[in-house]
Amino acid sequence: MSSHAHAHMPTAAEATLDKGHVLRKLPVPLAVLGVAGIALAFVTAGDDHTQFWFSYLTAYMFWLSAGLGALFFVLIHHGTRAGWSALVRRVAENWMITLPLLFLLGLPIVLGGLESLYTPWVNPKPDDIMVVEKQAWLNPTSFLIAFLICGGLWTAFSLYLYRGSRKQDASGDPAIADRLRWWAPLGYVTFGLTITVAAVNFMMSLDPHWYSTIFGVYYFGGTFMFFMAILSLSMMGIQRAGLLKEHVTAEHYQDIGKLAFAFVVFWSYIAFSQFMLIWYANIPEETLWFAHRAEGGWEWVTLLLALLHFAVPFFFLMSRHIKRRKTTMALGAILLVVAHLIDMFWIIQPTMTQHVTGHSHFGLALSDLLAVVGIGGLVCAVFFWRLGAAPVVVLNEPRMDESVGFENY
Amino acid sequence: MAMVKDALDPVHGRAPLILGNPSYKDITEAVARPIELSNYRGWWVGFLVSASLLGVLLVSIGYLFWEGTGIWGVNNPVGWGWAIVNFVFWVGIGHAGTLISAVLFLFRQRWRTSINRFAEAMTIFAVICALIFPGIHVGRVWVVYYMFPVPNQMDMWPNFMSPLLWDVFAVSTYFTVSLLFWYVGLIPDFATMRDRSVSKVRKLVYAIFALGWRGSMRAWVNYERAYALLAAIATPLVLSVHSVVSFDFAVSFLPGWHTTIFPPYFVAGAIFSGFAMVLTLAIPARKIFKLEHIINEKHLENMAKVILLTGSLVGYAYAMEFFVAWYSGNPYEQFTFINRATGSFGWAYWIMVTCNVITPQFFWFKKLRRNVTVLFILSIFVNIGMWFERFVITMSLSADNLPSSWDYFKPTFWDISTLVGSFGLFFTLFFLFLRWIPMVAISEVKGVLPQANPHSHHGSVSGEDAYVDSAKEVLAHG
Repeated sequence: MSSHAHAHMPTAAEATLDKGHVLRKLPVPLAVLGVAGIALAFVTAGDDHTQFWFSYLTAYMFWLSAGLGALFFVLIHHGTRAGWSALVRRVAENWMITLPLLFLLGLPIVLGGLESLYTPWVNPKPDDIMVVEKQAWLNPTSFLIAFLICGGLWTAFSLYLYRGSRKQDASGDPAIADRLRWWAPLGYVTFGLTITVAAVNFMMSLDPHWYSTIFGVYYFGGTFMFFMAILSLSMMGIQRAGLLKEHVTAEHYQDIGKLAFAFVVFWSYIAFSQFMLIWYANIPEETLWFAHRAEGGWEWVTLLLALLHFAVPFFFLMSRHIKRRKTTMALGAILLVVAHLIDMFWIIQPTMTQHVTGHSHFGLALSDLLAVVGIGGLVCAVFFWRLGAAPVVVLNEPRMDESVGFENY
Repeated sequence: MAMVKDALDPVHGRAPLILGNPSYKDITEAVARPIELSNYRGWWVGFLVSASLLGVLLVSIGYLFWEGTGIWGVNNPVGWGWAIVNFVFWVGIGHAGTLISAVLFLFRQRWRTSINRFAEAMTIFAVICALIFPGIHVGRVWVVYYMFPVPNQMDMWPNFMSPLLWDVFAVSTYFTVSLLFWYVGLIPDFATMRDRSVSKVRKLVYAIFALGWRGSMRAWVNYERAYALLAAIATPLVLSVHSVVSFDFAVSFLPGWHTTIFPPYFVAGAIFSGFAMVLTLAIPARKIFKLEHIINEKHLENMAKVILLTGSLVGYAYAMEFFVAWYSGNPYEQFTFINRATGSFGWAYWIMVTCNVITPQFFWFKKLRRNVTVLFILSIFVNIGMWFERFVITMSLSADNLPSSWDYFKPTFWDISTLVGSFGLFFTLFFLFLRWIPMVAISEVKGVLPQANPHSHHGSVSGEDAYVDSAKEVLAHG
């Protein structure tokens, strides 16, 4: 199978969705679905809105991973001068460009949800010394400033990288590729610091007594794994729609699958390190976080997480045959999407009852589902809008020849 | 823009990995030359100096066995002195080799072929140096076999919950796999050396190690498969070994030791120090042995980038530790970190920060990354900084939870002689390596030359294409 002999560079015409294509009609219904989903989640979640905000935050952190994972993928592509990924970069860029929207979608949490989500530090008990001590960081103003900085940087980087790539489509000026590569390393630094702040503020501070230095890395591990899963799923969708059918091959899916597999292992490594070290030292203020995830029905979610986020995908995605066949790779990717959602749910939701009763009780609300659909609808609306607005592949990309006809060996 | 015309980092295409467009034969000649040279004066000087330092190590260990660990500066709170510092330092040095040989192989980073042999050798020698320290620090060396779960009539077992025992497993596995990986990579090159040998003894020795390699296609197919499998097995070891080493500290509840970021932070630090050591060794070696076209500026620059990345990760870990020490609201945590920076070992802390966090930042600048002298000097700073990092961590013991027992740690003559001597062991092995084993993977470097790609000359490739296709046939059907 010497595909390199036959493949040619994709042209703008064959990589653009037709005007009447069904995928181009998706943005509006998806946006409607999104708004409806969030509205319904708000209505069904009860009058004190606490459940709504927990559902919203879970869905938000889940979908934020799509934008942040894509940002990291694009940065890595430029920074490492990658060749194989040129064909899939535009799709990653379309996920990345959801970050400005995700910035906006985070604002309601910061402006309206703090009271419900972060009661222990928004209204700290004066005798709760461990919370009073960290008020310089954990207070609504600092929280807002931190989020504005993070969200602003995500927006700036995603817009810059996206616009640069579109300009390259038009002119093919090598100076553009050069400038994008120049910015990539600064992007890593920005990405590393902002994702840490986001993870610490949005998720770790739900239980302000608890702390773990690895927590930012933990969220990053799951984020990138999740993004590789949706990248492969969206490439399959685009090929089904008739585009890039000859260009994106089993070789590319295998590489995406390898990265997904690597990050299954990386997440597991980080999760295990965090758990094992805390379990071993057995210091009450640290172990409590895990104790709350081993009571009130949550112990089953914990087990499920270990199974679906590690054990099953580890063995499933190991084989190259699985990664190279679309049906099996799609199954694996869907599994990882579910696993990441469970992970977010598992981190965020046990604190809800814990804030009230001091213990965790497992519960699943309708608003949990509706919020995932709602925020997902809006994020996907932007994704499909950008997908229809430009070729689904980058043009005039200097490394495209390495990606077309690329082979694993 | 001037940057667009950067020959080493072109926008279109790739810079050649090996300069001067050499033929296959040129590569073999260049790499075999140091081994077949008849004038060894420079080599003898280096070897004898290293061997003398190795003597210092042996004397230090001999005296240690005679007199006991009291000859070291260890005292009551600081029960772990330089022995653990040196152990972690040397294990860390080894990590670059495994990363280059295994992880970069899986990532298809073809530039690794110029430096992997070199770095893997360094890995093995560094792990040998590291393994000495747990072996000698036990006090009662005659029962050192207790470190292993050896069945015995007293039914005495090591504590399986102890990370020190996990270390025994982790490091010995690491050593075994690294050695196997290195050896498998060496087989075709040993065969080359065998075929070039003029003396009978030399031919026999290389022939034994070459395992009858004839370079047939089937042999190559099996070889490539074994190599890929070993790479896949070695990759988790890059993470696991130093994670387990970090557990030695992190499972405790000592402030400054017990922190969840330790495993990835130690791994990043290990790769950081390992790459610095590769630079420290490769820069003089490539000049002395005239291999500057094979290990060229691009390779050095790539290593500098890895150093910048891992150094920044280490900086991230330092920052997270400080932030969370404050954020935890735990006064003991807070004290430990403030004490690290301002206490009696503050001098060591600032050496560490300067060498590990500030030094790599110079590598943001392309001019400095491509300046060989700058690279060499900065790599030594990193080596020093990473030794001090382990020293600073270990010295958390000097101000533990019981203020009445606080004490300062002062190294003795024997602490210093053991550390210096371990460098002697490392360099003795390294000089032997330079003299007897091809220091660049000949067959792998040939594989990244343009003429190894059957599609490099368009039009006249049908024969080679058929060759590649038949090789794939063999791969698919065994």
